[in-house]
Amino acid sequence: MADQIAKISEVEFGVELPAFDPDTSIENVRRFGKYVGWGGGRFTDHDAARKEGFPGAIIPGVMSQGFLGAMIHRWAPSAQIKVIDTIFRAPVLVDQPHTITGVVTNIEEDLKQVEIDITITNEANETRVQGTATIELPA
Amino acid sequence: MDDDIQVMRDQFLNQEFDEVTLEIEGTRFAEYAKACGELDQKFTDPNHEDFQAPPTFVATLVGRRNLPEDFPRLNGVGMDAGKAVEWLAPIRDNMTLTGKSHLHDIYTKTGRSGRMVFLVTRMELYSEDGTHVANADTRTVIRERPSG
Repeated sequence: MADQIAKISEVEFGVELPAFDPDTSIENVRRFGKYVGWGGGRFTDHDAARKEGFPGAIIPGVMSQGFLGAMIHRWAPSAQIKVIDTIFRAPVLVDQPHTITGVVTNIEEDLKQVEIDITITNEANETRVQGTATIELPA
Repeated sequence: MDDDIQVMRDQFLNQEFDEVTLEIEGTRFAEYAKACGELDQKFTDPNHEDFQAPPTFVATLVGRRNLPEDFPRLNGVGMDAGKAVEWLAPIRDNMTLTGKSHLHDIYTKTGRSGRMVFLVTRMELYSEDGTHVANADTRTVIRERPSG
């Protein structure tokens, strides 16, 4: 995969991570529900979610957080995520395209650590989830 | 700090209220990894020599309760406002973890619609040999209904 980094010396302040389009399909969410949990109607059935007042089925928050982790690993396969904090600002809708973007906001060479801001946006470019992560990279 | 919030902080912060035993299944975290889009086989392939759970997986581990049994009922609707994970050591297939939960923080923010109370519940996860492997925080927000 292009645009990957392997060590901290390759990271530049302000660099944008390659965007990642997560699989928000209802089939994938149902699979998540089957094996991991969060298989309730609001996540796996659009009609059931609408009856609860949502515009459609929603991605479980724990799955959105998992998307952020996968995005970091796709960019930096050797990274160890030390901390990741996720704020759920609005629902991520199932079967709707979303994009995850990230930017490097701090580099601590001595600690071999990098801080990243990550955002999940929908097609209208509305922020749904915000996250910050601290990762450790090889020297 | 509002007086009622300070009272809750004094009474409940850092008091363990739940302890659970969690059996970790590699198939579960491998499916989690694949559904989330992980490509590294150390997260997706049980036969990989370094097979382990993605760091965010611990957010899926839940205790028996999210708040202390005697925690006051707040006047509003609670919503999941966020999750935070601190990774300390790898979690692997067939590990038995102990999850110990406490209220880690209570704070407020005031918006146009009134006060919002944030409750941060932290589950500390330990392996069988007592190694602290992760912290998983759940942030719940309660939008208070106007009184009167």
